[in-house]
Amino acid sequence: MSLLEAEGLTKVYGDGCAVCLDRTGDRAGTNQCPICGSVVACADVDLSVKAGEVLGIVGESGSGKSSVAELLALDAKAGHTDGAVRHANHEGNLLDVDYQTRHELQNGEISLVHQHIRDGLELGFSGGGNVAEKLLSAGWRNYEEIRERVGSLFEATEIPVDRMDDPTSTYSGGMQRRVQIARALANDPNVIILDEPTTGLDVSVQARVLDMFRRVQREEDVAAVVVSHDLGVIRLLADRTLVMRHGRIIESGLTDRVMEDPHHAYTQTLINSVI
Amino acid sequence: MGYVAVKAGEEIIERAADLFEKQRVDGDEATLSVDQIEGQLDRLTAQAMSEAGLYAPRLAALAVKQAQGDTVEAAFLLRAYRSTLERFDETVVADPAEMFATRRVSPAYKDVPGGQILGPTKDYTQRLLDFDLETDHEGDEPDDPTGDWEVDDAEPEELTNVMEVLREEGLVHEPDSEFDGEPTDTTRESVTHPVDRDEVLQELARGETGAVTALGYSALRGYGQVHPTLAEVRVGKLPVKIEHPYTDDEVRVTDIELSESEAVVPVYAKRDDPQFAFGYGLTFGRNERKAIAMTILDASIQLDSTSEPAENPEFVLDVVDGMDSFGFIEHLKLPHYVTFQSILDRIRGIRDRTGVTGTDTADSTDDEADAPEDDADPADREPAPMEANTDD
Amino acid sequence: MTETDSTPNRTAPTDAVDSVDAVDAVLDSLDAGDGLDGYNYAYLDEHTKREVRRSILKAIAIPGHQVPYASRPMPLARGWGTGGIQASLSILGPDDTFKVIDQGSDESVNAANIRRLAGNTADVETTTDTTDADVIQTRHRIPEEVLTDDQILVLQVPITDALRKVDSSDASNRRRHAHKNYGKMWVHLYENVVEYGEINIAARYPTMVGGRYLMDPSPIPRWDVPKLDDADNLFVFAAGREARIYAVPPHTSVEPLAFEDREFQVERFPDQSCRACGSTDTYLTEIETDDGQRHYVCNDTSFCLKRQDNEELPKDHHLDREGVDWGPGTPNNTTADSGGDAE
Repeated sequence: MSLLEAEGLTKVYGDGCAVCLDRTGDRAGTNQCPICGSVVACADVDLSVKAGEVLGIVGESGSGKSSVAELLALDAKAGHTDGAVRHANHEGNLLDVDYQTRHELQNGEISLVHQHIRDGLELGFSGGGNVAEKLLSAGWRNYEEIRERVGSLFEATEIPVDRMDDPTSTYSGGMQRRVQIARALANDPNVIILDEPTTGLDVSVQARVLDMFRRVQREEDVAAVVVSHDLGVIRLLADRTLVMRHGRIIESGLTDRVMEDPHHAYTQTLINSVI
Repeated sequence: MGYVAVKAGEEIIERAADLFEKQRVDGDEATLSVDQIEGQLDRLTAQAMSEAGLYAPRLAALAVKQAQGDTVEAAFLLRAYRSTLERFDETVVADPAEMFATRRVSPAYKDVPGGQILGPTKDYTQRLLDFDLETDHEGDEPDDPTGDWEVDDAEPEELTNVMEVLREEGLVHEPDSEFDGEPTDTTRESVTHPVDRDEVLQELARGETGAVTALGYSALRGYGQVHPTLAEVRVGKLPVKIEHPYTDDEVRVTDIELSESEAVVPVYAKRDDPQFAFGYGLTFGRNERKAIAMTILDASIQLDSTSEPAENPEFVLDVVDGMDSFGFIEHLKLPHYVTFQSILDRIRGIRDRTGVTGTDTADSTDDEADAPEDDADPADREPAPMEANTDD
Repeated sequence: MTETDSTPNRTAPTDAVDSVDAVDAVLDSLDAGDGLDGYNYAYLDEHTKREVRRSILKAIAIPGHQVPYASRPMPLARGWGTGGIQASLSILGPDDTFKVIDQGSDESVNAANIRRLAGNTADVETTTDTTDADVIQTRHRIPEEVLTDDQILVLQVPITDALRKVDSSDASNRRRHAHKNYGKMWVHLYENVVEYGEINIAARYPTMVGGRYLMDPSPIPRWDVPKLDDADNLFVFAAGREARIYAVPPHTSVEPLAFEDREFQVERFPDQSCRACGSTDTYLTEIETDDGQRHYVCNDTSFCLKRQDNEELPKDHHLDREGVDWGPGTPNNTTADSGGDAE
């Protein structure tokens, strides 16, 4: 039984026209409508995530994977949206909920780790403050308990606890990424969406952050959707994988199968081009 | 002895006022007449009128006299007066094309239909102090320097508005707006953000000249993207018309002197159909720099960004009003000892608890849960900066 | 106001004298009377008063919510109480008695000026006795004596939004209020405790009204904040420059924000008493004398005078009931930490 499901996710930037969807996609070789110029960031995306499972979405820039991540995280942005996102614990299409409900979902069950650190953190707050914000928004009112929880989240995400009260702006990129993950974990979500988790990190740091996330994900048994252009990231974390191109899913399956026996020509190219 | 140690003497207040009066009338020169101010210091009166939002040159001259030349104070007097006036009617929408321009320059083109009319301006004079002015009030009326000009009788040519020329070519992008034809009156409805353009323009028109100029300058100086080309700068008299209460005909009631400016900024909103964005500025009387600064701010605010002050509508509208800024800044002189006592309490409490002062603090606080670590070196802690309580 | 000639050639100096001048001019023209119409009752025109009253009603209906209104230019400068004056003048009637205090004192120049304006234009009795007043306009204090359900307290507010501390944009803050999204304020308090071990806010302490809206109680000291909770009287908060009115109706819950284990604290005056009346249960302010000594005196001057006659006078002496909760120094006060008070 699925925890999170999506049907027909579609996102179009621009005025749109009757043929946008037909004239874009894998066969068309583009995600921009040649008639009206609108960009079909993603279209007809169906997927499902089971509890505790990690789903990977891989593709190059412009493949639509980040748009899908935003839609799953209910991160409302510009553009025209279609389709549905469903969650086991909620009725109806989560894309249609009101501000309040969306906020509650984002603060509770579905967490997003933004690609860009500046979208996820207040650099002026302390690292601990950023994590505390999630707890405070969920109604925690006991200072010592908040401190304790923040401390244990720091430990789980391998951030030095003695840096907890320093401004986030003084943290290294790796530490900032960990703070984002700690925030995402704060209220025990059942699904976390990671959008390009290795952005801005040195290679050695990437490995450690990913290892940390894999450990935490398994310990907490939290489902995850990992979006990345980096096959290595997907291979390390994902149980199942979707491959996207020009806004469409062109291949899906168990990660091992997709990596070892890619069916689609593009997937083959992708895998072969990994250094 | 302070504000409150003495019974609020009407007497004390009167004596203070008398002292000031003495300062003004000390010396044996005759006092300025309102006529003289209206005639010879019309830049001051124009500023007062603009910032008050009330076109009344003679009252403005009076206000300037009463305020001893402080334009914001004069505008304050006029605004307070304006709010007691009954509003009889609204004018017909004024058409700037009807302005009889005594001055019109268009930096965008070398030659324009109707010509570049320099008019009365000091723009190109050399700024040398004229010591003749020290004594020109003695003796007869001063000479009219244009006294022996040969004045042409011909009708002046029609001045085509350069913006119209650009519009006809389809080069000007109309700003997005929900304007439905009825402008909001910001003196009657409180401004809340996001604001529409008619509210922005009203607030800028009544904005304090220094503030509007400084913010407009900031955009040019680099804290913003807008560096416009002026299409038009005009100074002149605009007829003001109403619908006659009985006949419904349009009737001219008066002419008002205005400075107006229009500017274009190349902004390629649509990649395949680049157009100009434009800014507009208008003030009462002669105040070109404010009108031009207004156009910069109008264009900047349309960009609606928070990365530069001039482009942030909330920031600009919050700080340009002269009454608000003057009042709030000067209110800091009012007694604040109640909040200051509270601040002292905080600072002393923290210093006591962290052992900075070394006073015996054990029982004066209830923070058992957070007793300071006695081995922490107090010198390691920075002095506790207070919450910015000066913002009251 | 009549035209040019009848206004005397007063100069326009700065400071409080300015505003006194402006009020003088208004009052003079009232006496002049001929020519144009004199001012309306209570200076403001009926339209304005109606709008202000409507705003007040709306504010009462949504406790703690900031209601915008078109604040009129007044003869006093912005920042000097124009909001409070508009509110007071809109609700005063000729049978009312009006008290004005600034920093707890009736004698302050600005308070006296405002009292004059109202006294003359609204034809009201004025008083310095808190228990006698129907409407009290105040800057930065709530009186020591308990207010009743017959009284309205109008507070002058400089900055209307508690969220201004964490974001300067009103547009963003309005959205936060609409969605009860106060996370940023809580983080601010958390960071406070991290840095100072306690919540380091002096006056303008943020409060939660009716469990729904975050409210800035104006720069009253923490000492006065408990009085807002479940009071018998109406509190009206008015800002002229920022053009907002908000209110706390009687018997509304008002809770200062704090952690369960870092509680709200009022100011402390350990081992201090008022030099004039000996009180140890009132908000004191210190005075530095010429010879370098520091003394404390009651801040609420009118109550202090009463206490000078009767040191034991309780703050609810004028009521039939006993044990009223009216902040520190009253029998049922629930504030955890009160200064050395006589309970």
